[in-house]
Amino acid sequence: MKNKSISKEKIVSFPQMGNVSIAVAAIFRKMGANIKLAPVNNTETLSLGTRNSAETVCLPYKLNLGNYIQALEAGANVLIMFQAPGTCRLGSYASMADAKLKELGYDFEMVVFDMYKGKLFEVARKFKHATGCNSLSKTLAGIRIGFAKFDALDTIERNLFYFRPREIESGTAEKIYLSAKRSIDQAESVHDVKNIVRTAINQYNSMPIDKNKTILKVYITGEFFVLLDPFTNMDIEKELGLMGVEVERQVMLSGWTNNILLPKFIHKNESHRERAIKSASSYMTRAIGGDCIESIGDTVAASRKNIDGVIHIGPFNCNPEVVSQCILPHVSRQENIPVLSLIMDEQTGKAGFITRLEAFVDLINRRKRAKISA
Amino acid sequence: MKIGIPRALGYYMYYPFWHGFFSELGIDIVLSGHTTKKMVSNGSSLVVSETCLPVKVYAGHVLNLLDKGVDIIYSPSIQSIAPKVYNCSKLRGLPDLIRNVVKRNFLLIEPTLDKSEPRQGLYEYLYESVLPLGITDKKRIKQASKAGWKCMNDYLLMTRAGVDAKTAMKNAINGKIEIVKDETNYAISAAVISHPYNLYDEQVSMKVFDKLKKLGVKSYSAENITQENMENGIKTLNTNLYWANEYEMTGAAGHFLTDSKIDGLITITAFGCGPDSLMVERITRYAKRLNKPLINLTIDEHTGEAGFITRLEAFTDMLYRKKRSDLVEILNRQVFHGDPDHARKKEELERLNSRV
Repeated sequence: MKNKSISKEKIVSFPQMGNVSIAVAAIFRKMGANIKLAPVNNTETLSLGTRNSAETVCLPYKLNLGNYIQALEAGANVLIMFQAPGTCRLGSYASMADAKLKELGYDFEMVVFDMYKGKLFEVARKFKHATGCNSLSKTLAGIRIGFAKFDALDTIERNLFYFRPREIESGTAEKIYLSAKRSIDQAESVHDVKNIVRTAINQYNSMPIDKNKTILKVYITGEFFVLLDPFTNMDIEKELGLMGVEVERQVMLSGWTNNILLPKFIHKNESHRERAIKSASSYMTRAIGGDCIESIGDTVAASRKNIDGVIHIGPFNCNPEVVSQCILPHVSRQENIPVLSLIMDEQTGKAGFITRLEAFVDLINRRKRAKISA
Repeated sequence: MKIGIPRALGYYMYYPFWHGFFSELGIDIVLSGHTTKKMVSNGSSLVVSETCLPVKVYAGHVLNLLDKGVDIIYSPSIQSIAPKVYNCSKLRGLPDLIRNVVKRNFLLIEPTLDKSEPRQGLYEYLYESVLPLGITDKKRIKQASKAGWKCMNDYLLMTRAGVDAKTAMKNAINGKIEIVKDETNYAISAAVISHPYNLYDEQVSMKVFDKLKKLGVKSYSAENITQENMENGIKTLNTNLYWANEYEMTGAAGHFLTDSKIDGLITITAFGCGPDSLMVERITRYAKRLNKPLINLTIDEHTGEAGFITRLEAFTDMLYRKKRSDLVEILNRQVFHGDPDHARKKEELERLNSRV
C-alpha cells in the first residue's frame, strides 16, 4: 500500500534555460508540487545530450535532453516541455525526447505545454495536470508569484547591464545581482520579491560608478534559447560588460511571457515581435519561424536608435538563424550598422570567442570616436 | 511575356502544375540549365557556408537565369500546406533570402501559400503569382489553375505507375500520358528516401538511380506510391504530420519499411537539413525495430562520387547476402512442408547466386 502511494507521487522537472527555472519553480512550489531540477546547464549536460541525439540536431535540444536525463537520474517522473509559437524544430522536441528517453529505458510522463492551442488557460490546465493541484486559489497564487519573479529578475538584470560597464571596481554590480537573484529564488511571497528588488536597486544606485566614461551600446539579438542561457552564450553579457560595453538584450523574460500568455488586448506597449515585423519590413516580408524576423528587425531598430553595434547569436544549424545570417550582411551595409554573427555549438572555444568580441568592440569603439570627432 | 523558373527546389515538386498554369495564361517559362558544379559554387558564394546544399543550388540557378538575360524570376514561398503544418524555415523564407543576397536588378515574383492563415490559400497564391504580370482576371486564373492540375495529375499518374520522374515530367509537359513498365527482373529492390529536389537533381544525387540500376537493384521512391500510402506510413511510424515535406520522408519510409518486397532503405539527406535530422532519427529507430537494413548518406557540395559509390556498393552487397541467407533458410525449412512458392523462390535464389 505504502509503495503504491510512493510510486504515484509526481516529481516534476523541466529543462533549464537561464533564469527561467527560478520563476517556473516558484509556480510549481506554490501549487504544492514536488520538483526536482536538473543542475544549471554545464558541460556534462551537454555531453549527455550530444551523446544521445542526432549529430545535426540543434543545440537547445541537446541541452534539454541532457537536463531530462539528469533529472530522471535524480528521481523525477514528470517531464515538462514548453512549446511556444515559432514553428521550427522546437515543435518536435517533446516527441523526439520522449521517444529517445523511453528507448533509454526511463519510466516517466511527458507533459507538453502547447501554446499553439491556447494561452493562459491552456497553461493553467497543464499546470493542474502536472501537479495534481485542484485549488484555484493556489493556482492563481502560483501564477502571481511566477510573474512577479519574472519581472523582478528582469529588473535586476537590466540594472546589471547598465551598471556593469560603468563600475569602478570590477565585479561590484555582479555581486549585487547574484545575491538578489539568490534571494528571489528563495522568496515565498510577492511582497518579499518586491522588497528584494527595492534593496537591490538601492544598492546599485549607491555603488561607485564612473559617470564620464564613454560607454558603447550594443544590442544582442538572435535565437531565443541562446540569448537567455548564459552557459550556451558563454556569458556574453558579462564579457562585454567587462569590456565597457552596455548591452541591451532584445529578449527579456517578462516581456516575452506576457506577450505569449496574456490575451492581446491587455498589453498597451508594442511587443518585441510587432516591432520586429514593422522594422524588418524592407528586408523580410514574412515570418518564417524561429526568431529570424526578430534578428533582422532588431538590427534595423538598432541603427535607427543610434546604437553602436549589433551582436547576433544563434546555435549551430538553427534553420531560421541561417536565413537571418545570410540576410544580415546586406542589412548591415544598407543601414550602416556593424553586425557580428556568432554561432554557438558544443565545440565553440572560449578564447576564440573572446578574441572576436574584442575585435568587434575595438571596431565599434573606433567608429564611435571618429563619429564624435567629426 | 517571359518568366524564369529556377530548376531547383520547388521545380521538382510543382513544376508540372506551374507549367500548365502559366502556359494557359500565355506566359512563357524559361528554365535555368541543369545543375553544374559551377552553378553550385556560384550559389554557395552568396550565402553563409552553413546553408543547406539545396538552397545553395537554388541561388546558383537564380544567377544562371539572370545570366541568360531573364529579368523576372518566379520564386514562391510555401509557408504551410495545411493548418499548423509548416515548411522548413529556409524554404519559407526563400524569396526573402534571394531578394537580399542577389544584388542585381530583377523583378522577383514572390507569392505566398499559407494554409494556416485564413486568406492565403491556393487562389490567393495564384493571384499573387500573376499580379505582377498584369493579370487580374480571377475567372481566367481559376481556369488556368484547372489546366495546371491536369498537368500535375498526369505527372502523378505516370510516376505512381512506375515511370521515372524525368520521363514523366517531359511527357506531362507535352500533354502525353505514356506508361512503359520496366520488365527487367531485379534480384533485390531498395527504396530511396529523400526530397525530390535532392533525388532528381543529377548533380546533387550523383545519379543514384542509375548507379543502383547498374548494381542490379530496383529502386523505389516516394513518387511511386500514393498519398494514402504515405499517410499510412506516417501512422506506422507513430507520429503526426509536422513538416510540410514530411510525406516524402517519414511517410514514404513508413510505407516501405512495412513493405515485404523492399529489401532495404537508403536515405539521402543534405548536410544541415533541419527537418531531416529529426525525421531520419525516427526512421532509423523504426528500421531497427522492424529489422530492415538502412543506410543514411549525407551529401553536401564537397561529397566525392567515389566514396558515394563505395558505400552504395557495400550496402547492396549486404542486401544481397542477407536476402540470400534468408531464402536459403526458408527453402531448407519448406522442403518438408511442400511450399507452392518453392519453385519461384528457388529461381530467385539462383538469380542471387549468380550475382554473388
